[in-house]
Amino acid sequence: MASTPKILIVDDDPDLRQAMRLRLRANHYDTVNASDGYSAIAQAYKEHPDLIILDLGLPAGDGFVVLERLQRDDKLSTIPVIVLTASDPESTEQSVFDAGASAFFQKPADNTELLEVIRATLFRDIESNSLPS
Amino acid sequence: MSDPTKHVLLIEDNPGDADLIRMRLIESRDPVQVSRVERLSEGLEFLEQEAPSVVLLDLNLPDSQGADTFRKVLAKAPDVPVVILSGQDDEGLARKALHQGVQDYLVKSDFCHGELDHAMRHAIERQALLRSLEISRKQQLEFKNQFLSHVSHELRTPLTCIHQFATILLDGLAGEVNGEQREHLSTILRSANQLGAMVRDLLEATRAEAGKIRLDLRCLTIDDVLGTSGAMMKVAAREKRVRLQVSTEAGIPFVLGDSDRILEVLINLIDNAIKFTPPEGAVAVRAARMRSDPDFVGITVSDTGPGITPEARHLIFERLYQDPHAVDNSRKGLGLGLFIARELVTLHGGKIWVASEPGSGAAFTFTLPLYSLARPLSPVLIHDGRLREAVVLVKVNLWRRSRAARVNWKEACARTLDRLQRCVYLDKDLVLPPMAGFGPEQTFFVVGSTDLTRAEIMMARIRGQIEMLPELKGSCEVEISAAAVSLTDLPGSGSTEAKSLEAQVAAVAQRVTEMARAAMASSAKSNCSQGVPEHRTEPLRAQLTPE
Repeated sequence: MASTPKILIVDDDPDLRQAMRLRLRANHYDTVNASDGYSAIAQAYKEHPDLIILDLGLPAGDGFVVLERLQRDDKLSTIPVIVLTASDPESTEQSVFDAGASAFFQKPADNTELLEVIRATLFRDIESNSLPS
Repeated sequence: MSDPTKHVLLIEDNPGDADLIRMRLIESRDPVQVSRVERLSEGLEFLEQEAPSVVLLDLNLPDSQGADTFRKVLAKAPDVPVVILSGQDDEGLARKALHQGVQDYLVKSDFCHGELDHAMRHAIERQALLRSLEISRKQQLEFKNQFLSHVSHELRTPLTCIHQFATILLDGLAGEVNGEQREHLSTILRSANQLGAMVRDLLEATRAEAGKIRLDLRCLTIDDVLGTSGAMMKVAAREKRVRLQVSTEAGIPFVLGDSDRILEVLINLIDNAIKFTPPEGAVAVRAARMRSDPDFVGITVSDTGPGITPEARHLIFERLYQDPHAVDNSRKGLGLGLFIARELVTLHGGKIWVASEPGSGAAFTFTLPLYSLARPLSPVLIHDGRLREAVVLVKVNLWRRSRAARVNWKEACARTLDRLQRCVYLDKDLVLPPMAGFGPEQTFFVVGSTDLTRAEIMMARIRGQIEMLPELKGSCEVEISAAAVSLTDLPGSGSTEAKSLEAQVAAVAQRVTEMARAAMASSAKSNCSQGVPEHRTEPLRAQLTPE
């Protein structure tokens, strides 16, 4: 991982992307953007982010399609994904985990909690990669 | 229109009456095909196989009399119109029959020309109408729920936007903010949060109505939940200068509940209580075992507010109810809070009510069942109306290994429990509600009504499911073991034939609880002394039958 972790923000709402970018940059993360499922995959290939924040309701391949494509690719399947969606957790949380996401947040998410999970997810990854297994 | 032939099932034991009815039916406008049986049992058998257009039913049959007769027919074929042809003119019985879903009640001696045909055709029409009304009612309900769920989903995006940018400004990420600006931004944020809570309530009420709320039942210490609610409401109480007191009766037993949902109910009640209590007043939250029903714990939230009128007491738990005399000038909500509270409490198997005298405060009480394994265990333990000979107790132990795992530990435990639920057959096995909160070590138990082969398969599935969990990867140790528990050597189980099944189940439940507790204690001890091996799986060791 580079000294500044890079986070890919995937959301079709430009205002929410901007808000997330401001919030993450203020917390010393690099950010890149994608506004639909197709460009999310393209950006993941090109930018190799350390973490992806993924909305579910997206044009050109929804969040589940993105998760599936990421899982199928050896290079991308190791990138942790945090799902951030307006959808109801009762109906989607389980399937999101089953599809390989590492955390689920409903919009609007509590900023402190979200940042803590982002930090822990990046941190956990360093630790478990360095463990002999 | 399809085939106009009416298929009539005539349940009538008297051959004379049957002939008379047949003759009347020949006069019918549409062709009629009659199948006649003499006994109710034969009629029910017929209805099992076929769906006639109408049932003509005599009430006094060799094997059934009176109201019982039509009740059994209605239960067997709720969609087939039933017309009673009775020997006596009994207005009371007729009314009862109609209330329970019978279409008509005719007295045999009173038939005049064409009357039976009319009654029969109208009965068929009415029944068809009722069915289509019921179907369209269900469709409308479904549409309404979908609509509400869609609307609340779409409201979330702009709401999130307001929330995000208000916090970005408040946190100074876009430059310095002066005191007055900060105050206005806080108002925006507070309003956005209120709107968010309303959207949540709307969705929650819709879900409750559609029966879509699932509870995550655990063995809980109710003081923990009460404590959390007190901590969460402290600020609101202080701002209003209301004293908030939380207390629990000493030695209160564990309850079975979903802590998040119970917290939701509590927050709701405390929030209301603070809202309606004038400054310098007091709100008290207290949990105690119910004297009237020792299987339940009662939690009471009382205030020193204006109280509730007797008329309002009946309406207060209904949807969209808002107190017309609310003295407080804070914003009203949607009036869904108490409705949701009642739904959640009912789902737990408890009750909620309010006691109040106008002028002297209100006290809301809700009850929760004690943690007892007897009820959930009985379908696992009982087979063919008897206690099984043995069950299998599978134990799954998790240890937190690394520092990094701490953040997601709670989540990892919750997910493990969830996976366990998927490894079992709901009607044959039971994943015990966890005995305690999530410590650095967590033990889960599954009671399976099973033989050794299926237990092996179950263990393999559990292993597979749990090892797949990303939360556990590299951060937890897992140990899975199983033992057979004989149910035949229970104290007093075999010897006293008279002992009721219920008592036997209670005895087994007691013993399973003890074993689970003991196993937890011993594994904690061995863990301390010798450290923990990785991914250890013990084979099944005990015998299914007692030695």
